[in-house]
Amino acid sequence: MKPTDSSGRVKAGAEAVLTATGLGVGFFPAAGRRLEVVAGVDLRLCAGRTTALVGESGCGKSVTAAALGGLLPRGMAQDEGEIRWADGAARGPGRGLAYVFQDPGECLDPVFTVGNQIRETLPPEDRGRVRERLEELLRTVGFAEPARVAESYPHQLSGGMQQRAMLAMALAGRPRVLVADEPTTALDVTVQAKILRLLADLQRRENLAVLLITHNLGVVAELADDLHVMYAGRIVESGPVELLRAPRHPYVQGLLKALPRLDGAGEKLEGIPGAVPPLGRRPAGCRFHPRCPLARETCREREPDLRAGADGRAVACWARAEGGWA
Amino acid sequence: MNAPLLEVDDLRVTYRVGRRRVEAVKGVSFSVARGHCLGVVGESGSGKSSLARAVLALEDGVAGRVRFAGQDVAALDRAGLLAFRRRAQMVFQDPLGSLNPRLQVGAALAEVLRVHKLADSRAAAAEQTASWLETVGLDPAYARRYPHELSGGQRQRVNLARALCVGAEFLIADEPVSALDVSVQAQILNLLKSLQETRGITWLLIGHDLAVMRHMADEVIVLKAGEVVERGPAADVLAHPSHPYARELLAAAPNVARALDRRASGPRSLGLMEPPPAVQDRPPR
Repeated sequence: MKPTDSSGRVKAGAEAVLTATGLGVGFFPAAGRRLEVVAGVDLRLCAGRTTALVGESGCGKSVTAAALGGLLPRGMAQDEGEIRWADGAARGPGRGLAYVFQDPGECLDPVFTVGNQIRETLPPEDRGRVRERLEELLRTVGFAEPARVAESYPHQLSGGMQQRAMLAMALAGRPRVLVADEPTTALDVTVQAKILRLLADLQRRENLAVLLITHNLGVVAELADDLHVMYAGRIVESGPVELLRAPRHPYVQGLLKALPRLDGAGEKLEGIPGAVPPLGRRPAGCRFHPRCPLARETCREREPDLRAGADGRAVACWARAEGGWA
Repeated sequence: MNAPLLEVDDLRVTYRVGRRRVEAVKGVSFSVARGHCLGVVGESGSGKSSLARAVLALEDGVAGRVRFAGQDVAALDRAGLLAFRRRAQMVFQDPLGSLNPRLQVGAALAEVLRVHKLADSRAAAAEQTASWLETVGLDPAYARRYPHELSGGQRQRVNLARALCVGAEFLIADEPVSALDVSVQAQILNLLKSLQETRGITWLLIGHDLAVMRHMADEVIVLKAGEVVERGPAADVLAHPSHPYARELLAAAPNVARALDRRASGPRSLGLMEPPPAVQDRPPR
């Protein structure tokens, strides 16, 4: 099987900073065989573009992101495919790549000031100008009074301010790629809106390649350029974010239909029956077939590849493949 | 004609923080008709959860009046309060955190039945448990499972069964689906709605997801800093909010169709609300 290029359109001039090809991650329990966590993931992260990885919990989004930085938890290993930086350089775990996570309150150390914690992450070349760089970073993420923030302890800051402090810390190492893993899920909507704006703004100014991980399709539509939808460890549909207007994979269609709408109350939500299968209990054939309204015999037997169409969109579905039935 | 099941009049909740007094709920009034769903919308710190706890008489430092089925809750004696707690129950956001990890689902439900003296034998409890699990769409075999063996949606179903099994007619649901995945969220919302329709459950639904509110609620109140800033039928309030804060909430909610439309019209413009003025957050002195 030749992996299809799953990246959406790449604008002329947009260069891939980091590519993953056929990425696979296994979980190795203390006793027993390898369990597949993620399989066959192709990603191209381009400078100045936001790529979203979407799916429900247990689909492998965060594991994929951790694999990119070589930061997989114990017991897991990336044992398939390869990850390559465009400049050819080999980078140690976490280098060139920075993360912000869902819960900034848990990522920050409660006993050190914010300034202290950012200072710790400054690379050697900034050692001579620690104060200036600290102030610059805090201003970059929108703090009007950087000095006062630097002296604050995490508990003295609101959730939105904590997340901005985390962003400052992430930028300290001048990353090429920023992985934002559910960066606004713990925040109120008005604060979320501010952080999303800040992310869009930072990406433009710093020419970052952003990998946005979220389950919130609204956030994706606001921020992302390219979109990959994962289900049970594999990418099932990808393309430019506009694919959300008319997705082809039944899972993605189901996700959209499951969302309550602001304009029409009352009618029953369609939802998707069942739930994402846990590790080790993924079905044979197409992983989605037990929940799929279009499933037929083929789907139970053989797994569909992610196939790109002429329009740059790709879908892994027998029903939507050439000669399919939908 | 539909008499209100719950009437709340000038409710105030005050906390003491050191020497200071902080008013979390500042004179809120509303009523909920039997079989209706009232949505309470607001961000963290707006007083939603304090309000919920005060309504269920779980909070100290409460002033104002809460009437349930015509009775003043504050005036209830011990027996009356126990009866009230059977009829009015709460379902929380975190379905795992609100279940005892060491009790099988069946045992957890049986315990509730026993506390409220609703089952006089083990067999009777098991029978009732099985039937409540079916009501919330779970196979009775789940009685033998532990909470960690269940998915988030299944746990929330168990929580609903636990609230319903004592004969609840009024449920306060505090962000009941916000910890769930989208596809499961839809299943639970459908369940909440069908419980309202088939069993006439009256809901107080607390949350910040306006689309969920629009889907579930008949009426909505918008809370800000402990005060109601807007109220009305859900369709009106969420389509044309008049208070600036309600408008801000609506504008800030990410929305697939709106975002794609706005982005199509301008290069890389974020669909979300207008840019905020220079950041004015200040850390404390």
